Amino acid sequence: MATNDVALRADDLRFSYGQRRAVDGVSFAVHRGETLGLLGPNGAGKSTTIKMLIGLLTPDDGSIEVLGMDMASRRTDIQGRVGVVFEEKNLYPNLSGRENLAFFARLFGLRDVDLDGLLARVGLADRGRDRVSGYSKGMRQRLTVARALVNRPDVLFLDEPTDGLDPVSARSIRALIREEAGRGAAVVLTTHDMHEADALSDRVAFINDGRILALDAPEQLKLSHGQPTVRVRRRVNGAVEESVVTVDAGGAEQLSALVGAEGLLTVHTEEATLEDVFVHFAGRGLE
Amino acid sequence: MGRTLSAVTAIIGKDLRLFGRDRFYVLITVLGLGMFGGLFWLLPADVEEDIPIGIHLPGAEALFEAELGARGLDEATQEGLAVDLFASASQLEEAVALGDTLHAGLDFPEGFLEAAAAGQPTTVRVLLAGDAPHALRPALTAAVREIAATLGGDQPPVTLPDLDEMVVGTDRAGDPVSLREQMRPLLVFLVLLMEMFALASLVAVEIAQRTATAVLATPTRVGQLLAAKALLGTALAFGQGLVIAAVTGALAQAPGLVAAALLLGAVLVTGFGLLAGATGQDFVAIVFWSMLLFVPLAIPAFAVLFPGSTALWIQALPSHGFVEVLVGTTIDGEGWAQAWPNLALLAAWGVAAFAAGTAVLAGRIRRA
Repeated sequence: MATNDVALRADDLRFSYGQRRAVDGVSFAVHRGETLGLLGPNGAGKSTTIKMLIGLLTPDDGSIEVLGMDMASRRTDIQGRVGVVFEEKNLYPNLSGRENLAFFARLFGLRDVDLDGLLARVGLADRGRDRVSGYSKGMRQRLTVARALVNRPDVLFLDEPTDGLDPVSARSIRALIREEAGRGAAVVLTTHDMHEADALSDRVAFINDGRILALDAPEQLKLSHGQPTVRVRRRVNGAVEESVVTVDAGGAEQLSALVGAEGLLTVHTEEATLEDVFVHFAGRGLE
Repeated sequence: MGRTLSAVTAIIGKDLRLFGRDRFYVLITVLGLGMFGGLFWLLPADVEEDIPIGIHLPGAEALFEAELGARGLDEATQEGLAVDLFASASQLEEAVALGDTLHAGLDFPEGFLEAAAAGQPTTVRVLLAGDAPHALRPALTAAVREIAATLGGDQPPVTLPDLDEMVVGTDRAGDPVSLREQMRPLLVFLVLLMEMFALASLVAVEIAQRTATAVLATPTRVGQLLAAKALLGTALAFGQGLVIAAVTGALAQAPGLVAAALLLGAVLVTGFGLLAGATGQDFVAIVFWSMLLFVPLAIPAFAVLFPGSTALWIQALPSHGFVEVLVGTTIDGEGWAQAWPNLALLAAWGVAAFAAGTAVLAGRIRRA
């Protein structure tokens, strides 16, 4: 992607809570229309990084540029073009869904937002006038996604956007994220759901101990840091026996022996997953 | 400027809506105004100035009335005693024990008049009801000695000079302050303090539910959020203060001055409300912190109920100026000229509380 397509650039970000360093030299860029997955274990520094990127925390060091604007000098302008889905369902329970959206639209200085259309996009068209206190967890989650879209953001931050959603709702939210990226919004996604990160992210950054340990396309990460396996099932003395063999130099001979033996039932190859990569980095980070 | 105004009005509108939809706030507000307003009118508007005492003086009622009724009893009544004569000691005892109409009694023995006239020692029983004012006992003892001396024809050993009384300040002789009037500052201030709780709760909920974080992820600044909370808190406290002041008749005299005191009082409690709300934990924590602030703030209003000079440390409390202005205008008929030092003190405390409240809350919101 061209350099002028960069929507968000974080350069050598550092932040400490007292003596504890939470973010230690994080740098990355997200392009327009790109979805970046930010993955890592709890306490890795993801939330602190996001808070700096959305202007809630001022970095101790480093710089943030959003849509060509410097966060240090144009925070208000940047926040006007950013949407955020927080991990907490931080809505006003005694306001209706529509009133929640209308309130945030006013904070963005917008008065002609199609709130009903927005509610319809997240499947809340018929519940928009009900108070949020009567919403299920999934409905609240969908409303926080709608709220993040109220200003039609150019950069979208999503922290666990499908947490607590049923599979159908989760799928509709993922479709919505793709739509937003499709219209050109840069998306930063934080999730513990590795399948979701794999499905949505163009690139994934693994972060641990406040540092980015790897940043690449999911396929590339899986190839570089994951371990493909072969699962062989055989019938041995009347019972089904399963063996898992890693695809490497040592495993080739074992695999050849298993496949050539009598009683072979099935052979399945399994690709490495992002979860394997996550464990690889989290484990190494925790050593 | 336009953006700030838009953000502040949006937040105020949202908070007003939330306030109106919270049954607890609405119930407490309506109940508070109704109860305090009603309580004011239920309290006695008059003061019973005379302390009723009973006297049993066997066999000498006529003499007593002739000798003392003309002078002594009139004087006694002027000094706040209402005397009833009883035919027997048992009737007197019974009446004092009942305590309904009598606070105390003097039971003179048989032959008291003769003994007193002859200068012989005799014993007079002083009967006191359980709720009799403590200071009544020495007064009655002195009265008995004076009666005995008068009957015996003795003159006091010293000649007392004529007294030239001068009342410094408002002379309330014959116009004592009723309990209702004494309670007025307390009732008005309690309504303001109630708003302190409500604001603290609104602010704390915003922090605890992290909705403040969502607001600050938009172009809204911390200062705008605080300004909205402060304006709403002050307006609610001031509005309700005006209502309770009107209900209790505090606006009948110098309404402008009372309104100014209410506005500054509202600013003061709003500052403390923001401070209590900054704790932002749960309802119990809010109640705890609010109570810590509530008690010292209410002391000056309670002090009005106990006449006498106010201790220096009470005068130093933030709400003292507010109570003084209210007492001065509604009871003593004071105006701006007399009230301005207290108004200035109240304003200074209000600014200090406001500054502390907004500073602590801003820090709390930024850390959330």
